[in-house]
Amino acid sequence: MYPRAINKSKANNLKTELNFMKQLLSLLLITFTLSGCEKDDICDPETATTPSLVIQFYDADSPNNLQTVTNLRVIAPGFTNAISGTTGVNKITIPLKTAEDTTTFHFIENGGDADTSDDNIDVLQFTYTRESIFVSRACGYKVNFDLTNTNTNLLTSDTDNWIQSIVIAQPNIETENETHIKIYF
Amino acid sequence: MKHTLKFIFSISFLLVSFIGTAQEEKKKDSIAPKTEKFGIRVGIDLFKLTRSFYEDNYRGIELVGDYRLTKKYFIAAELGNESKTVDELNLNFTTEGTYLKAGFDYNAYENWLDMENMIYLGLRYGVSSFSQTLNEYQVYNTDPYFNEGDISYPGEKFEGLSAQWAEVVAGVKAEVLKNVYVGFSVRMNYLISNNKPESFDNLYIPGFNRTYNGKFGAGFNYTVSYFLPLYKSTVKAKEVKDAKGK
Repeated sequence: MYPRAINKSKANNLKTELNFMKQLLSLLLITFTLSGCEKDDICDPETATTPSLVIQFYDADSPNNLQTVTNLRVIAPGFTNAISGTTGVNKITIPLKTAEDTTTFHFIENGGDADTSDDNIDVLQFTYTRESIFVSRACGYKVNFDLTNTNTNLLTSDTDNWIQSIVIAQPNIETENETHIKIYF
Repeated sequence: MKHTLKFIFSISFLLVSFIGTAQEEKKKDSIAPKTEKFGIRVGIDLFKLTRSFYEDNYRGIELVGDYRLTKKYFIAAELGNESKTVDELNLNFTTEGTYLKAGFDYNAYENWLDMENMIYLGLRYGVSSFSQTLNEYQVYNTDPYFNEGDISYPGEKFEGLSAQWAEVVAGVKAEVLKNVYVGFSVRMNYLISNNKPESFDNLYIPGFNRTYNGKFGAGFNYTVSYFLPLYKSTVKAKEVKDAKGK
């Protein structure tokens, strides 16, 4: 009677321990699963980050009509690579410097071809104020630009400007879904 | 017995395979009257403590405590302080602050004889008061033309921030020496309120840990604690057929 009872209690004891261990292990498994959700941080390309400047070209003689600049080449002074995607279109996007309040570009008519003799360089200088805005953990910060209270005379005059006039259509550069600058030529 | 348990507790952290599905046999046996200890248990989170030594960007401490109210219910609380520097791809910041979590634990584990182990579920309400310092950031620009990669070092400190959250806890506590317990718990957090700085976000909250896009978060601790017995109560065994005992 007595030894039997002890044996029984030992068996029960073991069972309790096993049970305890099982529950403990399931807990651990939950933890491992949870710790798996760390590095998921990639900035989604769809997220609105630092906007580029959107420029559209119009016919100076009939200001409602969009017009394509012949072989346009846009390049920052001192740079060897031009902004891509500026030829054969009437709408271009160019980046502004996020660390400075001024960005200068050379807008070169006929500059997109190999022949440099007919190039006509017009110099545009954009002056603006900048605002750093927090986006998200993955994207960090973006910079929005404001052309409102700056010099509206963007074009540097020379003897033969191909650009006739420039209008700032949207001085707050916050999205690339709208046209910020209209250039008439 | 205690040695066996201690052994099981430590090795179960290494062995995750090898678990047979032992069947549960509900057979009532003669049980001796148990005595149950009531008192206060205080301890420290070993994970935060050790992490402070091996991780340069982290310094933290968490004190834990619980008080046994009834056979199954415990009032429980955690008090902590953390300082953590997070280095993301585009930003680097430091969060510093203090937190308090208070709530209860429910012991779902039926102890054998006079053992006092716990497998428990609990709830907490957490509050945290902290500051964020934005050490540096890089402006995200999809157009790499100027290739500026300009990094700003604003060193801007946002103070007086706070957050509140609810926490669901699941854990174990095992008595490894007399009155000395080792415990482990995992936590799911749900952010209730979050007072953010104007031009930044609370990407890390002391006590809550890392924040995600939604309101959920997670955490765990690994504690060692000491139980201070205040009084004992004898629990009548439910089915004592013969009071043979030991």
